[in-house]
Amino acid sequence: MNNSVIRYILGYILRIEAVLLLFPFLVSIIYRERAGIYYLLTAFVCMALGFLLTLKKPASFVFYLKEGSIATALSWILMSIFAALPFWLSGEIPSFINALFESTSGLTTTGASILSDVETLSYCNLFWRSFTHWIGGMGVLVFLLAIVPLSGGSQINLMRAESPGPSVGKLVPKLRTTARLLYIIYFGMTIIEFCFLLAGGMKIFDALTISFGTAGTGGFGIRNSSIGGYSAYIQWVVAIFMLLFGVNFNAYYLILFRKWRKALGMKEVQTYFLITTAAVAIIFINIVNTASSALEALRHAFFQVSTLITSTGYSTVDFNQWPQTAKTVLILLMFIGACAGSTGGGIKVSRIIILLKTIKKELASYIHPKSIQKIKMDGKPVEHEVLRATNVYFITFMIVFSFSVLAVSFDGKDLVTNFTAVLATINNMGPGLELVGPTQNFGGFSIFSKIILMFDMIAGRLELFPLLILFHPAVWVDLFSNQRKIFSRKIGHKM
Amino acid sequence: MFKTESRKKEGLRIIIVGCGKVGATLTEKLSQEGHDITLLDKNPTKLQMLANAYDVMGIVGNGASYNTQMEAGIEDSDLLIAVTDSDELNLLCCTVAKRVGNCAAIARVRTPDYSAESAYLQEKLGLALIINPELEAAREVARVLCLPTALEVNTFAHGQAELIKFKLPPENILIGQTIANLGKEGISQNILICAVERGGEVTIPDGDFRFAEGDFLSFVAARQDARVFLEKIGFATKQVHDTMIIGGGKAAYYLAKQLLNIGISVKIIETNTARCEELSTLLPKAIIINGDGTDEELLKEEGIEYADSFVPLTGIDEENILLTLYAREVSNAKVITKVNRINFKNVISHLDLGSVVYPRYITAEAIIAYVRAKKASLNSNIETLYHMFDSRIEAIEFLVEEPSEITNVPLMNLELKKNLLICCIYRKGRVIIPSGIDSIMVGDTVVVVTTYSGFDEIQDILL
Repeated sequence: MNNSVIRYILGYILRIEAVLLLFPFLVSIIYRERAGIYYLLTAFVCMALGFLLTLKKPASFVFYLKEGSIATALSWILMSIFAALPFWLSGEIPSFINALFESTSGLTTTGASILSDVETLSYCNLFWRSFTHWIGGMGVLVFLLAIVPLSGGSQINLMRAESPGPSVGKLVPKLRTTARLLYIIYFGMTIIEFCFLLAGGMKIFDALTISFGTAGTGGFGIRNSSIGGYSAYIQWVVAIFMLLFGVNFNAYYLILFRKWRKALGMKEVQTYFLITTAAVAIIFINIVNTASSALEALRHAFFQVSTLITSTGYSTVDFNQWPQTAKTVLILLMFIGACAGSTGGGIKVSRIIILLKTIKKELASYIHPKSIQKIKMDGKPVEHEVLRATNVYFITFMIVFSFSVLAVSFDGKDLVTNFTAVLATINNMGPGLELVGPTQNFGGFSIFSKIILMFDMIAGRLELFPLLILFHPAVWVDLFSNQRKIFSRKIGHKM
Repeated sequence: MFKTESRKKEGLRIIIVGCGKVGATLTEKLSQEGHDITLLDKNPTKLQMLANAYDVMGIVGNGASYNTQMEAGIEDSDLLIAVTDSDELNLLCCTVAKRVGNCAAIARVRTPDYSAESAYLQEKLGLALIINPELEAAREVARVLCLPTALEVNTFAHGQAELIKFKLPPENILIGQTIANLGKEGISQNILICAVERGGEVTIPDGDFRFAEGDFLSFVAARQDARVFLEKIGFATKQVHDTMIIGGGKAAYYLAKQLLNIGISVKIIETNTARCEELSTLLPKAIIINGDGTDEELLKEEGIEYADSFVPLTGIDEENILLTLYAREVSNAKVITKVNRINFKNVISHLDLGSVVYPRYITAEAIIAYVRAKKASLNSNIETLYHMFDSRIEAIEFLVEEPSEITNVPLMNLELKKNLLICCIYRKGRVIIPSGIDSIMVGDTVVVVTTYSGFDEIQDILL
């Protein structure tokens, strides 16, 4: 295995993180906060370490799926650790494991918090929390691909490990251009939302952090009431943009190049909007009696559906108090998740479509046992590899999910809490129900449970396998004994 | 205007239809040169493999269909290259592409039925190039058979100038001499040694370079001067009298036809009786043997030990290589090996096979030359391009069409890049091996040998 290229990528990631850490430092200068110094410190450490790791260029830049996955998983773990340092050093989150939980939750765009009172945090820490959402939303390795000229074509393996969805394609032949296009769309949409929020009379700081949280479909609020305290206009804007960031970015690419019909014809996007509409309708009917006006009920229903299907995790009301039907619909939405190729989490609409079509095919094979039927998506046959990967993904998801619920249950909390806590972290959602509901937090879990939940967050963000492969014995053997093997082989060759 | 300028820097948008041997080589070479490449093929596995290995996009579908081409973005592509198995499909791909998009098109056409009329097809269908790897390979083999001392013979300036590679045998008079010395003694008159490979290292030598046994030398000269030089240093320069070809495929047909035209007698051994009969109709002067070319007894019976030259052209590389090794064992014949798939190139180069011809490289070179010329501005044009010594050195022939900062300036006053040699100027039918006082004029074709890769225009030679 090409260990040196993994080291090199990790070094580059740290250097990028160092630069990113300077932004909250700037915020601290504006608000004259002392906590900012810790950002500068962490940035310095990251930069130094990054330089050390990238000092020696690897002999070969070729890496395969294995190296790509491992580099991705390790990058995310490393970034989370360094992102946690300022929270911890500044003393605003005294326990390191809590700080790590917060930063992991930020980078994986989960938005699950251990803080009971967000409003006591300093501005730079609040900014960093939201900014990590924006960084993690599109992915750091995609960013790396956009700016760092790595030679060779095998970088697609990096993108494959980080981008959500059953099959990763490129928009244009060159990966670098693809990565750039994705970031341009991402950046542009964030700015548009920011302007809309400003127009609603929001303060610049609030508008910026809320935009970051929406764009990455993260969900860290800067107020204890999340979005609940803002005006109806702002709630509508946020809800609509959450929904938009959950759309497959390929659609925006097509729209950018004026291929409207193709963009609107994407089966996944159609289904995504269909599910949203249906869910809003059910919840609206369910809660319309309890709300003060029909419009308000519609707004709350739409906001909550939008926030949960895209796995953002903002809230305008405590939906834990809603009737059972509405709550059940919300739980189902959490499972479905957003579109592939978006910033959202969950199982992804396209996978659900493929799974449903597989069931349909299976049923048909009972009627005509010898029939041959290709599953199609957007008029094209879905390759067997994709089908297999989708099925395996679903099964693995369920297994990881069940074991996590079991592991968390040792804390002695009720089933709904445990179930939704795992659901909310593995789908990068944020709030669950009961003790982890929108007005509650994850602070009450034991350290062991927090580690399990952090694992779920990264596993969910990287779509399981890049993280799970780290536990394969062969990888460990490769990571630690590879150098020696090559060396001894060379010696042996000479003799 | 601005937009096209910026796009030129980024590389062209190229669609390649067909992911076979040539398609894969083209993908590798062209993506290294920084072009945006979209591949079309019906086979998803092949596409996936190439898309994983190189920074390219793959689309599954029939390359000749309008919809697939639209999906690949034919509308804003610069070039479509059709290299599927089927000649007809390739031509259809190009025809559709010309109608739908505003792009240049290159087709591979291999069958002798069409190759005779390729110029007509090219003009009528408006194609940029028609490539025929088998024919090109046969031409290269024929050139070496005309000068069997050489390992490789490449031509510039419509065959007027030649780039010849040979190996210094033991006890040659050149051994121990320096290049400067050769010039003084008048041995290297009108020739220029432009590259040397020694122990795996390739250099562009200067005057102090001293020759040693086993060096691979490449030099440029006018046709007749090259032969004079080789005779002076003790090589035979007569062409072979007869040749034995194993395998009766398309390349064998093209080769036999050319050799018969220049008076070399040809013997072809082919297993398939029907094909033998076909060949005998097409090539009445050739001796066609129906039998297994890998049968040692048959080879002996047909006189491999006394053959002047031996060219295995079967479709299987392993067979070709084994036949070559066998022929070198039992006879003194000049042997040229054709290798179709180039995997294990290092191993092949260790085997000391002598002359090796790689048809798919030849094709790739022609297309790369075209693509580079298309990318470059208009005042110079790449005529031909050769990769030498495992692509470590490029020999490029530029046609200088307009005055620029390099024209009408004595070469010694130009600030040239290092590791670069202007080794030949072809002016009005005359080959000039330039010295410092010569200068490049408009209308010349100039051959440059360099270790850099990616030269698009003649100005690239400047620092």
